[in-house]
Amino acid sequence: MAQKPKDDPATYPALGRMLTWVDKKGSDKKIVWALGIACVIVFLLDFTYDKYGHFQVEYVRGFYAFYGFVMFTGLILVAKALRFFIKRPEDYYGDKAIDTEEYPKDQLDIRGNTDV
Amino acid sequence: MFDVIPTAFIFFVAAAILLTLPKGNLRGLLLLIIPIIAAMQVWNAGFGSFAQIGFFGFELELMRIDGLSRIFTLVFCLAAFLGNLYAWHVRDTVQQIAALLYAGSAIGATLSGDMITLFFYWEGTAIASVFLIWARGTEGAYHTGMRYLIMQVASGVILIAGVALFYRETGTIAFDRMTLGSPGTWLIFIAFGIKCAFPLLHNWLQDSYPAATVTGTVILSAFTTKLAVYALARGFAGTEILIYIGTVMTLFPIFFAEIENDLRRVLAYSLNNQLGFMVVGIGVGTELALNGTASHAFAHILYKALLFMSVGAVLYRTGTSKASELGGLYRTMPKTAIFCLVGAASISAFPLFSGFVTKSLTLTAVAEEHRTIIWLCLVFASAGVLSHSGIKIPFFAFFAHDSGLRPKEAPTHMLWAMGITAFLCIAIGVYPAPLYAILPYELHDAHPYTMGHVVGQLQLLLFALLAFAFLYRKGIHPPEIRAVNIDTDWTYRKAGPAVIYWLSWVISSIYNWIVGLLVNTTSRTIKRLYNSHGPEGRMARNWPTGAMVLAIAVLLGATLLVNFLV
Repeated sequence: MAQKPKDDPATYPALGRMLTWVDKKGSDKKIVWALGIACVIVFLLDFTYDKYGHFQVEYVRGFYAFYGFVMFTGLILVAKALRFFIKRPEDYYGDKAIDTEEYPKDQLDIRGNTDV
Repeated sequence: MFDVIPTAFIFFVAAAILLTLPKGNLRGLLLLIIPIIAAMQVWNAGFGSFAQIGFFGFELELMRIDGLSRIFTLVFCLAAFLGNLYAWHVRDTVQQIAALLYAGSAIGATLSGDMITLFFYWEGTAIASVFLIWARGTEGAYHTGMRYLIMQVASGVILIAGVALFYRETGTIAFDRMTLGSPGTWLIFIAFGIKCAFPLLHNWLQDSYPAATVTGTVILSAFTTKLAVYALARGFAGTEILIYIGTVMTLFPIFFAEIENDLRRVLAYSLNNQLGFMVVGIGVGTELALNGTASHAFAHILYKALLFMSVGAVLYRTGTSKASELGGLYRTMPKTAIFCLVGAASISAFPLFSGFVTKSLTLTAVAEEHRTIIWLCLVFASAGVLSHSGIKIPFFAFFAHDSGLRPKEAPTHMLWAMGITAFLCIAIGVYPAPLYAILPYELHDAHPYTMGHVVGQLQLLLFALLAFAFLYRKGIHPPEIRAVNIDTDWTYRKAGPAVIYWLSWVISSIYNWIVGLLVNTTSRTIKRLYNSHGPEGRMARNWPTGAMVLAIAVLLGATLLVNFLV
């Protein structure tokens, strides 16, 4: 079996090397914490100014936060349920559909790619 | 005849010139210069009607420039420039010609002051654009292209039927505001609706855009649907039903986009959702709402092109745009990843990005009309945009799990195209005044950066992001899997053929049964007669001996008679 090439971050572009921080152990937790703190700040900011709006609901402090969280969660759950009804195998439309066929290699430039 | 050359003709002449040039950078330059010349011509011409021509007793208006047509024409020129820059490496003459004719037709339609000219260019966009799908050169693309062409040409045919009826009713072919009600106006409305991907008429969009070439999809994403938005804004502003149609358009695609695996199809659903915001604006029909639609179309063409460009670059370097096969590409394609994030932030309407300053106009216009349910739906749809275009596209292509793919960064010309587009997305978001200045109507008191607006939008987006983080880490977020999802295309790709197959089976069965019955009955009758009257039959016992002699005598007599007569 052919040996897969070793993944060497030194071969990444400089910007790519900097971004590898996101995959370091513990980084994901830091990102979620930062997001959580940002959420708390924008929630508290809602109490610092006089609200103005066309609807009663816009005067409720933290309305957008609540609405965003609940509706987003609802969206994901409904979409997940929808998959139960509309998901089909990739070759559902036969072999004359773009879902199963390869993109023509002569229109791509994948020379020198390494898959680790 | 003409005060100036109609802008569309510039593109058509360029297409002819392009054929004479050798394949290479010279053609690339021509493809970049033409949109610039076109934009300068429209910008410098001022408002008015500049090119009339007689046509079978009709006065056609080929070059009507006003506030509404100018902003759409300018953004079409910009999209053509950016799309052609992105496609600098393409040496396929068919795609280059198609790109020019397609952009020229879309601009021609936008500048047409009458509906006959509109029809010609309307069909022009259909025919030119299908070659961007067929250029992929696979059997799947061919079939998809045929389906696309049928829908697009059908739209044109319905349009001209509507125009004919409208002319009979009103005696005019002028392309101005109409009141929905008569058969003619309904047909025109439906024709626009097909191209605008109204619910249930929408699936050509998600079917065809992922089937086009890497560069073709970027170009496709700009013109057809926004031309339809322009046509609706011109013809049916203030038509109430559009508010409801637009709201449904903003909602249903976000569910489909969430569970779609092909990222270019996710973007097609997302495009459908964005069109919904514009259609709602047209339905509201106030000056603020139409400004919202026009500015949103302008910003949308840019960030949608940027997202298609970044996913296209991934496809160009990896051979796939399926989320299940991708992930972790930021390592070797960091610039593309960042440009994608800019597009994602723009479409999600984060403050300081273009979507924020344009979508807010439409939302404000809806709020001013005190349409609570519609407003709540649109705010929900805004969170939905974040879910698929804001998170799914960049996260599953460039981050999430490591696919092990280490492709090269996108080619320089693609990076330039993405870089300029990303710059424009941020520039519009940071300093919207120049965009606001070219809107169809004067904009009074537009201050998107109020404390309430910024905090409200940040709350919506950040808490939606928090919900995503929670669902993703808990494993509740639907995983990316290799599968397709059925949509209305199921009716004509599966159900339709199945019904036809079933009908042909029923009809052929009945036919075979009737034929079989006739054949069997006849052969049985002959067999019975033979059994009873044949040489071995029971009746043959009674044959007189002279029967044969008699038969020969009759035959002889007949022969003589024939001879005598002839």
